[in-house]
Amino acid sequence: MNHALLALERAGGQGEAGTESVGAIFRAVHTVKGMSATMGFTPVATLSHELETLLDGVRRGVRGIDERLMDLLFRSADVLESAIEAAVAGGDEVDVSALVAQLRAESAEVVEAVDPAAPAAKGKRKRASRAKAPAPAAPAPGEPVLPRAPSAWTAEMPDGPGMAVRIRLVEGTPLKGVRAFLVVQAARGLGEVLACSPTVEALQADQFDHDIALRLRTERDADDVEATLRRAGDVMEVLVGDGPVAAPRLDPVNAALGATVSGSAPAPGVRAQRSVRIDLRRLDSLMNLIGELVITRGRLLQLSAAINDSALTEAVAQTSRLVADLQDEIMTSRMVPVWQVFDRFPRLVRDAARSVGKQVNFVIEGKDVELDRSMLDEVGDPIVHLLRNAIDHGIETPDTRRAAGKSPEGRLTLSATRDRSAVAIRVTDDGRGIDRTRVLARARTAGLVDGDKTELTDEELLRLISRPGFSTAETVTDLSGRGVGIDAVYNRVRALGGAVDIRTVQGQGTTVTLRLPLTLAIVRSLLAKIGDETYAVPLTHVRETVELESSVVRSVQGREVFMLREEVLPMVRMRDLVRHPAPASGALEQVIVVEMAERRAALVVDALVGQQEIVVKQFDGVRDGLNVFGGATILGDGVPALIFDVSSLL
Amino acid sequence: MSHTVLICDDAIFMRTMVGDILQQAGFEVVGEAETGVQAVEKYKQLRPDLVTMDIVMPDMGGIDAVREIVKLDPNARVLMCSAMGQQALVVEAIQAGAKDFVVKPFQPSRVLEAVQRVLG
Repeated sequence: MNHALLALERAGGQGEAGTESVGAIFRAVHTVKGMSATMGFTPVATLSHELETLLDGVRRGVRGIDERLMDLLFRSADVLESAIEAAVAGGDEVDVSALVAQLRAESAEVVEAVDPAAPAAKGKRKRASRAKAPAPAAPAPGEPVLPRAPSAWTAEMPDGPGMAVRIRLVEGTPLKGVRAFLVVQAARGLGEVLACSPTVEALQADQFDHDIALRLRTERDADDVEATLRRAGDVMEVLVGDGPVAAPRLDPVNAALGATVSGSAPAPGVRAQRSVRIDLRRLDSLMNLIGELVITRGRLLQLSAAINDSALTEAVAQTSRLVADLQDEIMTSRMVPVWQVFDRFPRLVRDAARSVGKQVNFVIEGKDVELDRSMLDEVGDPIVHLLRNAIDHGIETPDTRRAAGKSPEGRLTLSATRDRSAVAIRVTDDGRGIDRTRVLARARTAGLVDGDKTELTDEELLRLISRPGFSTAETVTDLSGRGVGIDAVYNRVRALGGAVDIRTVQGQGTTVTLRLPLTLAIVRSLLAKIGDETYAVPLTHVRETVELESSVVRSVQGREVFMLREEVLPMVRMRDLVRHPAPASGALEQVIVVEMAERRAALVVDALVGQQEIVVKQFDGVRDGLNVFGGATILGDGVPALIFDVSSLL
Repeated sequence: MSHTVLICDDAIFMRTMVGDILQQAGFEVVGEAETGVQAVEKYKQLRPDLVTMDIVMPDMGGIDAVREIVKLDPNARVLMCSAMGQQALVVEAIQAGAKDFVVKPFQPSRVLEAVQRVLG
């Protein structure tokens, strides 16, 4: 709905684009109204009803589109979204009364102006004044009949073995008992129907609503099953699997056609492309596993290089290639198009621009470029920072721009492009650019550059402004009270294994480029400190952590061991292992109990920092051979950390 | 090459209607039958790609005709044409080997969709 509202705003309500947008918004609100009324979500229903009334006025041309109306519509969209979320979450209802009153006031103005011989409008107004009861979704004359809200499945899924399959027939399908019979027959063709609800007899006697639930024993996959059952004809929805069952996804084409009186049947949907539904957790788990594998591979390479046996080296090289291929495959399956995150930006930009009185033309390019889903999640916030920076500090006010000979509307572009090894996300504005002289002055004062330096290259500029705490008014945008700057963006991107680039020309604008790698291995790790250095231990090998009390340390055959309850564990003082120069501070130390393949050890560190998901970076190994590391990473604060390879410690 | 159709119904009005719908969609009506017996005979002769079969006909009803046709040709594609309220009969017809059904009064789009499903 936000998209349609934005399009409407841009069109100024004029022309085809304007009419289309109004129509789209109206239909969306109408659908929400119907569904929420059926589900008993009163605030949503009431609000959408009022919104619909107002929009109807706009649609029929009795209400013009102005700034005030647009603001009201945007605000309504936001409140509607919260009310829906609240209703779905089952929490407290959102109070929509203030907004409802405002919408009514707006609509009332409209109705006064309308010819009194317009019964539809008057009728709506009457219904609107019956405050509490949600208005029923009765179509006004001339409106298309929109689908009835999807209600909960009426057939109970039988217990027991077999694939759970739910089928809903198209509303109004003639002789639905026979249709159901065809569905069951089709199901039998796929394997064996272990259970059916309602019973086959009830189905044939037409004693059911439109839903069927079966347990099917079959070799086929979900897509095959769905395609086959749809071929029985007049099937609106097929849901395979045991997942939580929400009301069926409303297929608007099928439902609308099914609901019309003459009931013309939709074509059975057969998908061209084979695909599987997969639990997101499985993708994440694959990701973690490949991360572990990458670490272990690094170690394997080091070891085989040391051993220098040609057969082994070849096998390891082969394994290494397979790991790389596997990583690629997993990566690819985790790719999602960037629009999934970029889509919320136009609204954000619009609101931000308005709040600082600037005019911004926002363009998104490359919305179909794909990125790893975790990476896309992570890069969302940095992009928001950059967009806000551009709006707050980059793009000038319309007056300033005119004075400078620019168009009053600034141009802000967010683009995603892909080359062989990376994805580049660019935020470009045609504003005032970063004032190098100010940055230079600041740097001189802070002693970061030589006193006689007069110019800054783009790289030097970047390095300066990405220092934590280095901020001129140009680079800091205060988001919800926190000072957030380019340094946060810089660190976040580097933690993802990427790089930041900046190009700026005074008076013309700025482009910030985030380059993100395509390959990614993420491992959940426990972070520990030894002295001032941070190290990481993959969490899968961490059994527990304990404080180190001297009473549980013993000596066996000259070596220290750690008593963990009844168990004797070999103890490794990590400080000594990594040969940290400074002596222990005497403060209480921590023990990490690690385990791999039945073997355990107690690792002593100074302190535990916490758990974190880290990105494993390419690692060539430590020179002069401390062979206990399986990889390296850069933490969120920009600090590098080495990752321990647990097997080498056991 | 267009698909061939055999239309079976005891009412000439119905046969014409179905025929029109199918011809407009590019099918070739190669034969018509008024009774179940005729339906089976014509099937033997013509071996059409598709058969539309009314349920109630004199001299062997539609369901028996389907049964006989399927005995001749297990791959026969038969589409039952029924009136409302003949639920149990249609089920029987499907059990006898019909692939799908349409309900009178016919809507061209529904008939054609059902035909698509039957022809696979």
